[in-house]
Amino acid sequence: MSASGTGPGPRPARRTVLGGAAAAAAGFALAGCGGSEYGEGEPKGRKKGEKITLTFWSWVPGIDQPVALWNSKNPDVRIELEQVSAVNGAQYAKMHAAVKAGNPPDLGQVEYPIVPSFLLDDGLLDLTKYGAAGVKSKFEGWQWQQSVFGDAVFAIPQASGPMGLFLRQDLFDRWEIETPATWDEYEAAAKAIRRKGAWIETFSATNGNRFAGLAWQAGARWFAVDGDTWTVSIDDEPTRRVADYWEALVRQKLIKTVPDRQSVWYKDIQTGAIPAWVGASWGDALLVGNAPKTAGKWRVAPLPQWKKGENASANWGGSTTAVFRGTQYPQDAMDFAVWLNTDPESVKLLIDGGYGWPSAVSGWTDADMENHKEFFGGQDYSKVFQEAGKAVDTSWQWGPATDTLYQRFGDAFTAVLTGGGSFRSVLAKVQRQTVDDLRNKGLKVAAG
Amino acid sequence: MRRPTRGEIRNARAASGFLLPFAALFLLCFVAPIAYALYTSLLKVERSGPLGLGGGAHEVFTGLDNYAQALQDPTFTAGFGRVLLFGLVQVPLMIVLATALALLLEAASARWVGFFRTAFFLPYGVPGVIASILWGFLYVPGISPFVEMAGSVGWDVDFLSRSSVLWAIANIVTWQYAGYNMLVLIAQLKSVPVELYEAARIDGANAWQVARHIKLPLIRPALVLTTVFSIIGTLQLFAEPLVLQPLTNSIDSGYTPNLNAYNEAFKSNNQNVAAAEAVLLALVACALSFGFLRVVGRRGKDGA
Amino acid sequence: MTLVSEDRDSGRAAARRSGATAVAKAGGPGRPPLRHRIITRSLLAVAAVYFLVPVYWLVVSATKNTEGLFGTFGFWFADPRPLEYLGDLLAYEDGIYVRWFANSLLYAGAGAVASTLLSAAAGYALAKFPFPGRETVFNVFLAGVLIPGTALALPLYLLFSEIGLANTYWAVLVPSVVSPFGVYLCRIYAAAAVPDSLLEAARIDGAGEARIFFRLVLRLMTPALVTVFLFQFVHIWNNFFLPLVMLSDSDLYPLQLGLTTWTGYADRQPVLYQYTVGGAFLSVLPLMVLMGVLQRYWRTGLTEGSVK
Repeated sequence: MSASGTGPGPRPARRTVLGGAAAAAAGFALAGCGGSEYGEGEPKGRKKGEKITLTFWSWVPGIDQPVALWNSKNPDVRIELEQVSAVNGAQYAKMHAAVKAGNPPDLGQVEYPIVPSFLLDDGLLDLTKYGAAGVKSKFEGWQWQQSVFGDAVFAIPQASGPMGLFLRQDLFDRWEIETPATWDEYEAAAKAIRRKGAWIETFSATNGNRFAGLAWQAGARWFAVDGDTWTVSIDDEPTRRVADYWEALVRQKLIKTVPDRQSVWYKDIQTGAIPAWVGASWGDALLVGNAPKTAGKWRVAPLPQWKKGENASANWGGSTTAVFRGTQYPQDAMDFAVWLNTDPESVKLLIDGGYGWPSAVSGWTDADMENHKEFFGGQDYSKVFQEAGKAVDTSWQWGPATDTLYQRFGDAFTAVLTGGGSFRSVLAKVQRQTVDDLRNKGLKVAAG
Repeated sequence: MRRPTRGEIRNARAASGFLLPFAALFLLCFVAPIAYALYTSLLKVERSGPLGLGGGAHEVFTGLDNYAQALQDPTFTAGFGRVLLFGLVQVPLMIVLATALALLLEAASARWVGFFRTAFFLPYGVPGVIASILWGFLYVPGISPFVEMAGSVGWDVDFLSRSSVLWAIANIVTWQYAGYNMLVLIAQLKSVPVELYEAARIDGANAWQVARHIKLPLIRPALVLTTVFSIIGTLQLFAEPLVLQPLTNSIDSGYTPNLNAYNEAFKSNNQNVAAAEAVLLALVACALSFGFLRVVGRRGKDGA
Repeated sequence: MTLVSEDRDSGRAAARRSGATAVAKAGGPGRPPLRHRIITRSLLAVAAVYFLVPVYWLVVSATKNTEGLFGTFGFWFADPRPLEYLGDLLAYEDGIYVRWFANSLLYAGAGAVASTLLSAAAGYALAKFPFPGRETVFNVFLAGVLIPGTALALPLYLLFSEIGLANTYWAVLVPSVVSPFGVYLCRIYAAAAVPDSLLEAARIDGAGEARIFFRLVLRLMTPALVTVFLFQFVHIWNNFFLPLVMLSDSDLYPLQLGLTTWTGYADRQPVLYQYTVGGAFLSVLPLMVLMGVLQRYWRTGLTEGSVK
């Protein structure tokens, strides 16, 4: 296979990524070491006029459109898109496996939270050599920083997922329920909706991604790094508040506990059995696609706040286009990644597909973002997400093994929801497990 | 040790020609992976720096630490407990069902036998994953016609709740394999000389007595065979929980040992612990199958 | 271990069995009383309903689109348009479904043929050539039967990655070819069905060992070979774990892997629910027909391997 096999056995020396405390917005501070070169063969690179094919793994709906556009414009560099399943992290399982086997795709869709776990794997290519600095200014600063570790840039930002509240305005109106602006009001709304025989929505045990977002909004800071020591504080005050809140909803039977974005949930969304969803900007496409008959009845409101008048939001998801180590054509891969996420036509197509909130600072207009306006009864719903995006505390930092973390949360919540125990016990358990997990990965950890 | 005779040497030469292709692939696909798993299971990764960047990752020998870690992981051990419970209930149930169907088909008059036998055997042609997708639709509230029918008479069923999902999986497995096992048993039943039945009947034995005292003992070898395969199959449970997992919040990432090892390897990215888990799984599977064979072997001799 | 015990008599036993079957067909047991027949028939009918209901659901659902799947009663038709929907399925992504189907056929077909040949050769060698260490070799092979394939798949994946075979057709084909159970069946059958005198006669005639094997032995072993072939075909066709860990290129996927990918993707693209159900229907159909037709081959020889 490719020369960069990173299978077990002696690991190839890697290029060191470093620089002292240059951690900027992402807050990373890595200990510096000398800069050695790759211990493996340099990628070939493309000769002029040579025709090549790059593989790209993604699960963003409609991403085949911009890929097709690229292929029609760049006959020499064909992108072969592989649509991978994104259920319960299956896509990353596949990518990790491929990285280990030394045959990863050239490019992959990697969410912000997951970028570090691929670095543990030594899976991503540092793009600084291929002109990353030159394109930095095209992206939102904090999103760019999500993939910057030390001096190295490991991925091109694609989209963020500012959170908001989707709701069936027609049902809320009929039941005379106000749009909840705070979490207290949200609970009251849940009670009112329950009296009407419906459920406000669901708390899915396996959705660690959203739980992280909710904790983020409440002011939690799960991970921090100081020197080369990680601090893990999953069981902190803000997260406890979030856990207590959702536990109360579950215990009072005000909320379902079925998995979200699965057939049961879609059925409920279609029938109005669930009239609301704490979702994110990319959720518009999911609703449009899965509940076409409810067109015109939905609206988007800001995420409910812990205190009236506050304005805090968070991200659910958010993605990058990463280039995997082992690609033979890093420059072309990088060029495609940049084009995909900045070219106005491409971004327009991605928005149509519903990929989230563009990371590129230009290349899209408000009008582009309103592509599902009719579905939301003519509301300028993207403004809500735009405001939410501004209200995200961008100092939140992801830990080095978020996919494991989500799995831990999923298992612990599953146990609590179906057996017994409190949501707080989940936090304590996951905190403990995460400290162990990082330690077992050979990292230095301190409990926060 | 005595020297091999010339005939034996000639035989060995010819035999090795026939054996070689299989043996080579057996080495590659059975022996080597096991050796490799044993080897990796004794290593762990050490890193320096917050992400092990900068050449800060290398593997070191760690003895049996990974085994200790796997055995201390409550999710993993719970998964073992779960498949054992599953095996204790599902395997006997399925074998009993298969045996009952085989005996009934033997007893039934000829005209409909072909239809029934085919109907029972058909699900064997449905791969486990597809059977799980199919039953998944039949379980999920909101789509399942069963849930809908139960709901319309005021019965609130949830096939996928924590307490029932294991049996929902057991049902899928039974549905798939009962017919196959039945066919194996029928094949063995056919080998029972008819005179035996006739003789028994003339002696005044009724159908039940014939089945109990003549047919059952005679199909014992086939029963042992199907049971061993079922035990091995049970420990390998993977596709069914994997497919049902997204549909419910009752299946965690370590629901079966196999699922746990898979997730450990590919999602948690922890190859070494996963290797230890795979080795443990293989050990338990061997121990159980051998154990079962010994038990029935002994009892068989006692009976004879 | 009992499973390993050699059984030279089983061939003769098999011969007795077929004789007995013939007698059973000719004579047949006397008709049991009516009450018995009714009970038997009703029990069988209940069982048939259990086994066929999911199939019925699949048939009904294959005529629906995603909306119908979610919105209408599962056990009855609603605006059935089977041809249109199945046509959509076959055309989706330039007919990727057909490709998966072909892959499945290739893996199962080629794998089973190769596996049968290898098993036959190995089983024959173990049955007819007494050489030192024979029983040890046989026991080592048999231990393979007891090791769960899934415990092997992970390390196998890493090994294959090292030698550059991961994510190729070979990654699924090569491990599928090795069937310790096939060797076991073939040894037992060869021991009984291939007479030593015949082999000696052929050798005296000057035939080489290879020629004897291909011309004579294989023919004598046909019933066992059919069983091994079918057994292995279904085994490979149903195997999920191996392709799951080995393959990442969807052009190489077998059916089950393709369909699970679709279900995993369906939340982004709801039409895939319809395609998954339609795809399951199309994949199940031919196999079921095959099952029905081939039943009698399953029966012959299946118990050759059973423990005595």
